Amino acid sequence: MKAFRTLFKTECKLSLRGLDMFIFAICMPVTIFILLGIIYKDKPAFEGAGYTFVEQSFGAVSTIAICAGGVMGLPLVVSDYRKKHILKRFKVTPASPLLILAVQLSIYALYSFASLVLLYTAGVTFFDFQLKGSILTFLAAYLLVMVSMFSIGLLVGGIAPDIKTASAAASILYFPMIIFSGATLPYEIMPSALQKYSDLMPLTQGIKLLKAAVLGSPVKEYAMPVFLLAGIGFICAALSLRFFRWE
Amino acid sequence: MEVTITAEKLTKSYGSLKALDQFDLTVCRGEIFGLLGANGAGKSTALECILGTRKPDYGTVEILGMNPCTNRKKLFERVGVQFQETSYQDKIRVWELCEVTASLYKAPRDPKLLLHQFGLSDKLKVMVSDLSGGQKQRLFIVLALIADPEVIFLDELTTGLDVRARRDVWNSILKLKEDGLTVLLTSHFMDEVETLCDKIMILKNGRTVFKGTVNEAIQNSPYDQLEDAYFYFAEEGRKNESI
Repeated sequence: MKAFRTLFKTECKLSLRGLDMFIFAICMPVTIFILLGIIYKDKPAFEGAGYTFVEQSFGAVSTIAICAGGVMGLPLVVSDYRKKHILKRFKVTPASPLLILAVQLSIYALYSFASLVLLYTAGVTFFDFQLKGSILTFLAAYLLVMVSMFSIGLLVGGIAPDIKTASAAASILYFPMIIFSGATLPYEIMPSALQKYSDLMPLTQGIKLLKAAVLGSPVKEYAMPVFLLAGIGFICAALSLRFFRWE
Repeated sequence: MEVTITAEKLTKSYGSLKALDQFDLTVCRGEIFGLLGANGAGKSTALECILGTRKPDYGTVEILGMNPCTNRKKLFERVGVQFQETSYQDKIRVWELCEVTASLYKAPRDPKLLLHQFGLSDKLKVMVSDLSGGQKQRLFIVLALIADPEVIFLDELTTGLDVRARRDVWNSILKLKEDGLTVLLTSHFMDEVETLCDKIMILKNGRTVFKGTVNEAIQNSPYDQLEDAYFYFAEEGRKNESI
């Protein structure tokens, strides 16, 4: 536990010194959320809807931090630490390279939750945002989205032969997902052709799930995304376990 | 004398290339043992097979009576390792790296005291990447010593250092020997080997071509300098080929 705490503290400092996660996971989501709020004010999501556009978008923007950490931050840090032989160094100590992976996962989870709290505070303060569904359901859904996105990132970082490949793969995953899954550009305003393409992305399913949790939608709307996200999480985690390269 | 490291018949191939062939090693407590050979001769493979970070195809290893793979956690409380390549995070400060390293062990030595001993007390807040080559290597020795080890492994410790820095690092290692530590090191420099090593082993294409003391190496060759003797053992084949 002492090792985890010390390493967590230090890796947090290092991550903040790098600034990119602070910008992409903390500043960017809240900026987009406030912009959406300024643009849509208290307009309903569509005519006759019982909820506002902003409420509908909360779940989506809350995944920006997960996406930044999971498919950008994680693959890069894993391949970087492998290249620098940091993972190998942990093998010749009483600790294990798993320790530093666990620390990294916790840091990206912390960024995600910090971003979530910030968004919620901004929503409540400026836009009369209220969670219509149960908070526990929302948190469980958020955790599931996180687990499945992080497992994708761990797999990419774990099997990419070098940092260049990891970085290319991370960009290929990150940019389309952040733009076309509805995380930044709302899914609801996309043309239906684009929506069809968007539906293929795992993050889109995550966003649908979170939207349902925010709005307190009937349970049947959860089934498909839950099934998909859990499946992706399971497959990626299993593949990581099997093919992870420690050096 | 008590044996601290033994390796028997370690063999490792990468594809058709035999990187290590029937490697036998015995190092006693308090000895400084030097592993020599050209790049690609098998030094790093040998080191990694001994440490258990690479799995040999054949052969057994014991350090302090323990198997480095099955007893990893227990063994590495008592063994310090400095790898050849830099292995620290970007933007990490000297003190942070020491603190993290110390947190991995049950009963670590006080890093502040070690940093003082190695003349790095005023560098606590400095980024590791901003240290000079010599300071960095001394820091890496400090890191390997934080475990309070009985055995330490040092891979090409002084490559890239200037003469002064090299001398400082040598003195540090000789001090460790006085404290009864067992040191296994790899090196490319014969003056370093003569100063530090009680025993040496020369590898060539994965095979052991000489094992013994520095004096024995010289006596078993037609030369009177270690460097010439080293070439005699390590490059014998090549000389014959060129004839």
